[in-house]
Amino acid sequence: MWKPATDFTTMRCLTHQLLRRLLGRSPLCVPGRLSQSKGPILSPKQSPLRQSCSARPGLVTATDVVNYWQKVFETNGIPEARESSEYIVSFVLGAKTFQSLNSKSLCTPLTAVHQEQIQQLSNKRLERMPVQYVLGEWDFQDLTLKMRPPVFIPRPETEDLVSLVLEEESRKCEKNSDLCFPVPVPHPMILEIGCGSGAIALSLLCKLPQSRVIAVDKEEAAVNLTRENAHRLQLQERIHILHHDVSYSSAKQLLFWGPMDFIVSNPPYVFHEDMAYLDTEILRVRLMPHDCC
Amino acid sequence: MNIPGVFYITFLLRDIRTPSWRPWILRKQQFSLPGVPLLQAAGKKNSSNLLGLTEAELKEQFVRGDGPGGQATNKTNNCVVLKHIPSGIVVKCHQTRSVEQNRKIAREILREKVDLFYKGEDSDVFKEKKASEKKKQEKKRKAKENLERKKHFKEMQQLDMK
Repeated sequence: MWKPATDFTTMRCLTHQLLRRLLGRSPLCVPGRLSQSKGPILSPKQSPLRQSCSARPGLVTATDVVNYWQKVFETNGIPEARESSEYIVSFVLGAKTFQSLNSKSLCTPLTAVHQEQIQQLSNKRLERMPVQYVLGEWDFQDLTLKMRPPVFIPRPETEDLVSLVLEEESRKCEKNSDLCFPVPVPHPMILEIGCGSGAIALSLLCKLPQSRVIAVDKEEAAVNLTRENAHRLQLQERIHILHHDVSYSSAKQLLFWGPMDFIVSNPPYVFHEDMAYLDTEILRVRLMPHDCC
Repeated sequence: MNIPGVFYITFLLRDIRTPSWRPWILRKQQFSLPGVPLLQAAGKKNSSNLLGLTEAELKEQFVRGDGPGGQATNKTNNCVVLKHIPSGIVVKCHQTRSVEQNRKIAREILREKVDLFYKGEDSDVFKEKKASEKKKQEKKRKAKENLERKKHFKEMQQLDMK
């Protein structure tokens, strides 16, 4: 489970008449933190919540809410304040990104239910939970995958790793086609060590329709999450997911699946001495049991 | 063993605290990743008529994590900014939450804009837009006509009833 840090400094809240109405309650409170501190510090220079579209007074639009939460995140030192705010609001409105929302959605007043949902998600972000865990999902190439701590979030760079495998695969195919006789297209067997959320494995299964994957991870949470994502994408028939620690367990059970055409891995690789430089978001995941290296 | 993969990891670890914004061309040279698949994948139905873009003409910016390797950060900003150097046209794409997808879409959009820029009214992009506008107007006209006809019919009915 996600655990907030205990060394958090005093949270500062923005309050405003309109915001009270926005949230249907008196001063905005962030749960959990304030009881330990002296109470919210009201920002004396709080500028009014301007309404960017022609919504009637008292009603707020998506743009208004994004701007509001951006300010709250900034005031509380949350990195990527604008991006976090946009992703949360877009998610609640059923879109992937703010840019993909049409102009109509941007100017339509938000319902109370939506505002409440945004509030709940934003509170999690205020505790430095990564956006991907806040939303419980994230995209990897053209796939949407469920995300859950403590399973590692796939990084954008990992998308390149998938491209490398695909390139290698097509190179192999070209070599085979140089032969004078037709070679039946085999099922490429891929072994992934440390599958995490299943990003690499499931991406490869999608891009190589003939392939089969054996995915292993030493964390049971990762095994479960990969399985869940495989089912959501209807790929469960082509993947076997094993709870297996390659450092300590015998490889005998992997030999059962026969020779592999590819072995791919993007395991945790941050060294202990570099942990001090990590953002709070990463550090909290690292402090979970079974950390890396 | 997956040699390119090992190279990939050591490259990232080497660039510990260098700026994370770098043009795709530089990255491409270090990895020898072909830019062609990305551009091919960006094609649409009639893309063969659009002017092609080569990676050499493009300058791209997107956020990559800095610090000890990509895993040490968690940047969610997947916005891609793509510039066509000869024409100066810039496209900014944040349609999806995947850098890879945004790069593909940015290329699609840029290709259309570049085609329009150089070909003007001869461009398929322009022609398609005109065609769809015409269709829309035709639809409106027909709907109006139908409405008039119904109105007329109703008036005739009322006259008959009298």
